[in-house]
Amino acid sequence: MQLRFDDDVEAFRAEFVAFLDANLPGVEETTERPTSTAHMPAWARRWQRLQFDNGWLLPGNPPEYGGRNATLLQQFVHLEELGKRHIYHSFNPQGLGIIAASLLTFGTEEQKRRWAVPILKAEITAALGMSEPGAGSDLAGLRTRAVLDGDHFVVNGQKIWTSGAHDADILLTFVRTDPDAPKHRGISVLVIPTDLPGITRRPFGSIIGADDLDFNEVFFDDVRVPAENLIGQLNKGWHVANGSLGHERTMLWLGFADRLDELVADVRPATPLERDRYATLAMDAQALRLLGSAALARAARGEEDVASISVLKLFGSEAVRTASRHALLAQGSAGLARDGHSRPFEHMNLDWFFASWFDRYAHSFSGTIAGGTSEIQRTIVAERVLGLPRV
Amino acid sequence: MLFELDSDQQLWRTTIRDVLAKECPPALVRSVADQGADPGPLWRTFAGLGWTELTETAEAVELAILLEELGRATDPTPYLATMTWFTPLAPGVLSDGQTGTAVLEGVTAHRDPHGDEGWILDGTGHHVLDGDRADWFAVVTDAGVFTVPATEATVHRENVFDPLLHVADVSFWQVRVGEESRTRADVGLARDIALTGLALTMVGACRRVLDLTLDHVRTREQFGVPIGSFQAVKHKAVDMHVAIERATALAYFAALTIAEQDPRRATAAAMAKAAAGECTTVVFENGFQLFGGMGFTWENDLQFALKRALSGELLLGGADVHRARVTDALLDARAAAPAAGTTSEERHAAAV
Ligand SMILES: Cc1cc2nc3c(=O)[nH]c(=O)nc-3n(C[C@H](O)[C@H](O)[C@H](O)COP(=O)(O)OP(=O)(O)OC[C@H]3O[C@@H](n4cnc5c(N)ncnc54)[C@H](O)[C@@H]3O)c2cc1C
Repeated sequence: MQLRFDDDVEAFRAEFVAFLDANLPGVEETTERPTSTAHMPAWARRWQRLQFDNGWLLPGNPPEYGGRNATLLQQFVHLEELGKRHIYHSFNPQGLGIIAASLLTFGTEEQKRRWAVPILKAEITAALGMSEPGAGSDLAGLRTRAVLDGDHFVVNGQKIWTSGAHDADILLTFVRTDPDAPKHRGISVLVIPTDLPGITRRPFGSIIGADDLDFNEVFFDDVRVPAENLIGQLNKGWHVANGSLGHERTMLWLGFADRLDELVADVRPATPLERDRYATLAMDAQALRLLGSAALARAARGEEDVASISVLKLFGSEAVRTASRHALLAQGSAGLARDGHSRPFEHMNLDWFFASWFDRYAHSFSGTIAGGTSEIQRTIVAERVLGLPRV
Repeated sequence: MLFELDSDQQLWRTTIRDVLAKECPPALVRSVADQGADPGPLWRTFAGLGWTELTETAEAVELAILLEELGRATDPTPYLATMTWFTPLAPGVLSDGQTGTAVLEGVTAHRDPHGDEGWILDGTGHHVLDGDRADWFAVVTDAGVFTVPATEATVHRENVFDPLLHVADVSFWQVRVGEESRTRADVGLARDIALTGLALTMVGACRRVLDLTLDHVRTREQFGVPIGSFQAVKHKAVDMHVAIERATALAYFAALTIAEQDPRRATAAAMAKAAAGECTTVVFENGFQLFGGMGFTWENDLQFALKRALSGELLLGGADVHRARVTDALLDARAAAPAAGTTSEERHAAAV
């Protein structure tokens, strides 16, 4: 156990900090703000490209994929430094963190060249088509059909919640290719360009506002997708799904830790009750970083520890939600404001991180719902960590 | 930060577990509670193993590992009081196999009007951990900390809900002590060690409650299936696990700040004690509840771990007290160093 990282890791951090100091876009460049998780203004694309070219986008990757073959601990301090400086890693987070990562793991060389590299270079953006009206927590129950017809798949069905789909160039789409197989064994994954005929994308408002457009319904009506767009093997899509969600999971908790640290900085407790809750917030922030660091140290030693990632997600997302609620409630009727901001503007960060207290509270539910709900996480932890029977 | 036990520390934990499984099994704990068996031989075993020599602050993490395991085994000896209440206030006083504790409040010291350089101690410390079976007291007064042999005090063991716990009122009636018994101990550091030690004990006890609960819900069947397959039961168990993980992390962090003389130590210790208390609440209620009627019985060993954790919450200030300290410390620090970035309307305006 040690409070500090070894020198090589700190040297790596210093090098990255020097890069940031020299290259970070100025405030005046960032006036056009991202409007969805797949909408990247020109400045955001330039900035991501610059990181790619210098091996600072995903340092763990080899240089051809925007990295420098960094160790896990080096990758961690890279993200830690971004968090500390309130720099959002990518304004197409699912593209970078899930879709490009899945393509690099499961795709052919040609697929990596066609889609993964352009996503990493921010030439295109991507959205993730997993959930359907009938398949949320029970993702394996998905029904969007893909039937092979010569050298094309014909896709019919509907996705929902597909964040940023209306701004995305491609969709990583989970489809049913064998309706007769057991549900986990009949799923495949296709890259579907959004400009193909037969695709309808309908963005819809979130609880924040009718004009807050990130969610989409995506309808597929006899969409003909080239067979070469199949990612991984036919009917082995469940494998890709686990891989996709597994990507970056080792460090997913860092986002929650950053939100907690922001709350620690933003909350100004006045009453005894608020002061009491403030301590809980500070302890949650500290404990999450400690537990995350422990998981990281185990991962760096090469230990597989998938289940502890569920513990971190569960704990982190619920701690953010609780603290965000307390922060809103402490405002009294001033908390009713829809507009306004709850912390200083940070030009390299997402706008909702400093939006109204209600926005921050509402957004905290994305942590407890998306990517496996808290209830699902509890069941996973009970079965895989505590060894309780499935039945 | 690398917040995971290294291989030496892991080995140390395994060794401790092996020793305790053999030397401090549940049957021994039960015999202490029911038959009043003497934990003295176990104490001498600990001393013989060198466990009482873990007194350097640099070894705080190794001590932490031991204390967590002792909490888990509901250790019936005065190890916690000796190592985390007495020794930090009075290093180097105990000789082989001796025990000690601290009287933290209730006693005053005055200059002896007759003897030169001497002092007179007067007053009663209440609820002193192991006050009835310590060989030495470290008595904290406004005039400093005095080390006094137990023979100088009048002690009265209290009847408490935990049959393994020793708590006593310790009184000094005009006790004359020499200047040489006054120590130059760092009382703040000693307090943080005591808080951290108690937090680790509680965390260990909570882990034991969870272990027992998991065994129970895996084997107990109702409606034709193990009760552990019911989601309501699973989710209660997970809430226990998460609370324990959180409290464990904060307790070890406090130990690490002690070992590395980190300035965050006082806040870390307060966080550790507060989190251990919060964890105790979740674990006590869910653990007790999931055992059903069995949890309500004297025969069930669950009681020892439940009571060890709960009594820890009642000693040295509960979670609410320490949360208040955490907030005070953090807000004081904030007031001293105002945030660099302040809200700027213009920047918002520029962005919209
Ligand atoms: C902000 C946000 C962004 C999203 N972005 C995307 C995206 O880009 N792409 C995409 O594919 N999806 C996305 N999703 C969808 C997300 O993955 C699903 O919302 C999530 O998997 C839950 O599914 P559901 O909404 O159908 O809820 P349901 O599965 O219907 O769950 C409703 C409630 O029932 C509980 N429940 C369900 N099953 C169980 C069970 N077995 N045991 C106990 N409780 C249970 C849940 O925990 C929850 O509380 C996003 C969601 C949100 C909120």
